[in-house]
Amino acid sequence: MLINLKTKIWLTICSIVLIYSFFTLYYFPKQQGTLLVNNYENEVQNLANTVALGVKIAINEQNFEGVQTAMEFVKGDPRLQFISMVQSDTIWNAGHDKFEIRQTVFKTFPEKEHLSPSVSSNDSLIVKKAPFATGMMSGAILLGFNTKGIEASKAKIKNTSIIVSGIVLLFGILLGFWLARNISIPVLALRDAARKVGEGDLNQKIKRIHRDEIGQLEKAFNKMIDDLDKTTSDLNEKNLVLSATNDTLNDTLVQLKTTHTQLIQSEKMASLGELTAGIAHEIQNPLNFVNNFSEVSMELITEILEEKAKSATERDEALEAELLEDISNNLEKIAHHGKRADGIVKGMLQHSRSSSGVKEPFDINALADEYLRLAYHGLRAKDKSFNADLKTNFDLAIPKIMMIPQDVGRVLLNLFTNAFYATRQKQLAIGDYKPVLEVSTRQIPNAVEIVVKDNGTGIPDAIKDKILQPFFTTKPTGEGTGLGLSLSYDIVVKEHGGTIAIDSKEGEFSIFTITLPKQQESIG
Amino acid sequence: MKRTTTLISIFSGKSAFIKYCFLTGCFIFTLSGKAQQTTLTAIGNISGVPAEMKQSELKAVLMGETQRWKNGKRVVIALMKTNTPLGKTTSTKIYDMSGDELNKYWLSLVFQGKSQAPVFFTSVSELQNFVSQNPGAIGIIDKPVAISDVRSVIIDGKASF
Repeated sequence: MLINLKTKIWLTICSIVLIYSFFTLYYFPKQQGTLLVNNYENEVQNLANTVALGVKIAINEQNFEGVQTAMEFVKGDPRLQFISMVQSDTIWNAGHDKFEIRQTVFKTFPEKEHLSPSVSSNDSLIVKKAPFATGMMSGAILLGFNTKGIEASKAKIKNTSIIVSGIVLLFGILLGFWLARNISIPVLALRDAARKVGEGDLNQKIKRIHRDEIGQLEKAFNKMIDDLDKTTSDLNEKNLVLSATNDTLNDTLVQLKTTHTQLIQSEKMASLGELTAGIAHEIQNPLNFVNNFSEVSMELITEILEEKAKSATERDEALEAELLEDISNNLEKIAHHGKRADGIVKGMLQHSRSSSGVKEPFDINALADEYLRLAYHGLRAKDKSFNADLKTNFDLAIPKIMMIPQDVGRVLLNLFTNAFYATRQKQLAIGDYKPVLEVSTRQIPNAVEIVVKDNGTGIPDAIKDKILQPFFTTKPTGEGTGLGLSLSYDIVVKEHGGTIAIDSKEGEFSIFTITLPKQQESIG
Repeated sequence: MKRTTTLISIFSGKSAFIKYCFLTGCFIFTLSGKAQQTTLTAIGNISGVPAEMKQSELKAVLMGETQRWKNGKRVVIALMKTNTPLGKTTSTKIYDMSGDELNKYWLSLVFQGKSQAPVFFTSVSELQNFVSQNPGAIGIIDKPVAISDVRSVIIDGKASF
């Protein structure tokens, strides 16, 4: 339950006033009343004792001055109700073996009061007894004083208590208002100002500063606002700068992304370009067959038409049949080589298209072989003097594995191209040297391993950690984008969950080992 | 005869001397009592106390019934203590009370505020000096002694009673 500051102040004051009022209106009057009664009783007792002593002296010494003075003093007291002298007599029975003390009232003042010797105190009367004993007479003085004086004193005390309580209550109320004004109001003002500052309004300085700890808090609050204002201004300026920088960075990022995409596309185009010559070479062969067999077929058709133009007796039907069969055979070959060319073009188209991202079962051996020849022919198309030994060792037991063939083909193409480049560079540097490229595949548990080994320039140790980084290349400017191995890494590792391992010795060899998980068992 | 014999037997024998002394003492006591049946004189301060009074008036004053003299002076009674012979005589002759009875009497009057109690003295000279020094004081003695401011009060025409 939330109790606000003003309530706490009032609760405190009310508690103090209530406690004080309890003591003032109940406890102290009660104590005072008891004290008054006790003192009163003592006074009455003392007076009774004095009279009793006076009586004793009067009887024993015939000196009535004491009892006379005491009696005048007692009679002059307005509280006197009565004063009695009680005589005690010892009454023996007839046999003088038993006695009783009989008390009788000897004299009483005022005379009209008829009392019993056994009168006792009550609420309105205090009766005290003072015994005396002389040779002539024994008895007691009974002194009765009314309690009007005490009641009047009690009433006076009570009235005084009520007045004092009222004054304290009034003082408490005034104090409460003063405290509320001087503590609660400034604190609430600080609270409201703090809330508004929290909402962003920095025009909430406290104008009136108190001369106490609250005033110190107010000064600190104002200073805090000044500091906040300054900090906010600084932040705003820096935000503007950052915003401008951010815009610049965004523009730069967009440019970089565009450039990255362009470079990737360029790399693809470059690899596509690498393939072009190879593919052109590959297409040339079947097209040659198509052209040749088409020409031959045309000639054979001409011969058949010439033969058909002859008369029935001159026509050689056996020759016509033979020619038709030759034409049929030629057409079969044309169709076969046409399909070959079609397959080659489709393959090229497939390579040029973006990856679909859908894995499909594919023969890794066939893919490796195809791209090896493409890469080799592509290089040879550009440089007819380049010759290399191509050695393949494919594990024919490897089933088709799930892969994105375009992407894996791109990886293999990149490795083969790099290997041919390295061997070509070494060939240009060393005269007596035969480039060799070995490609092998094998099955390993849950994966397939493709190893590409060349005897080229090798990879220096200093750059081994960098060759997979984007845009890193050792080729002269304009000859390489530096994205080949980086893209290959992304395709093998991120796309297919495989690995690329690199082993190389500078000047001697490089071995790239790619593992591709089988993922899902192939078909076949 | 029998009585005489009894008497003779009482006053003879070994304890006769003691018995004779006892009898003699009783006789002397009786005589002294008779001797002490002295006359009393009332003395009073010349201021307030009248020179002559009747017996009844004196008794009324001494009994505390009269509080003030005719001139308005307060009555102050001076008596000898009842344990003195004069006091005893005064108590018996004037008040017809024993000493204790007198004390009781005055105690009851004082208690009820009806009267001022007498002042009791052990010697006549003290009593006389008191009477001379207190206007309105009246005392009872046996023989008046001439002191200034004190005179004998004639009671029923007699100086002594």
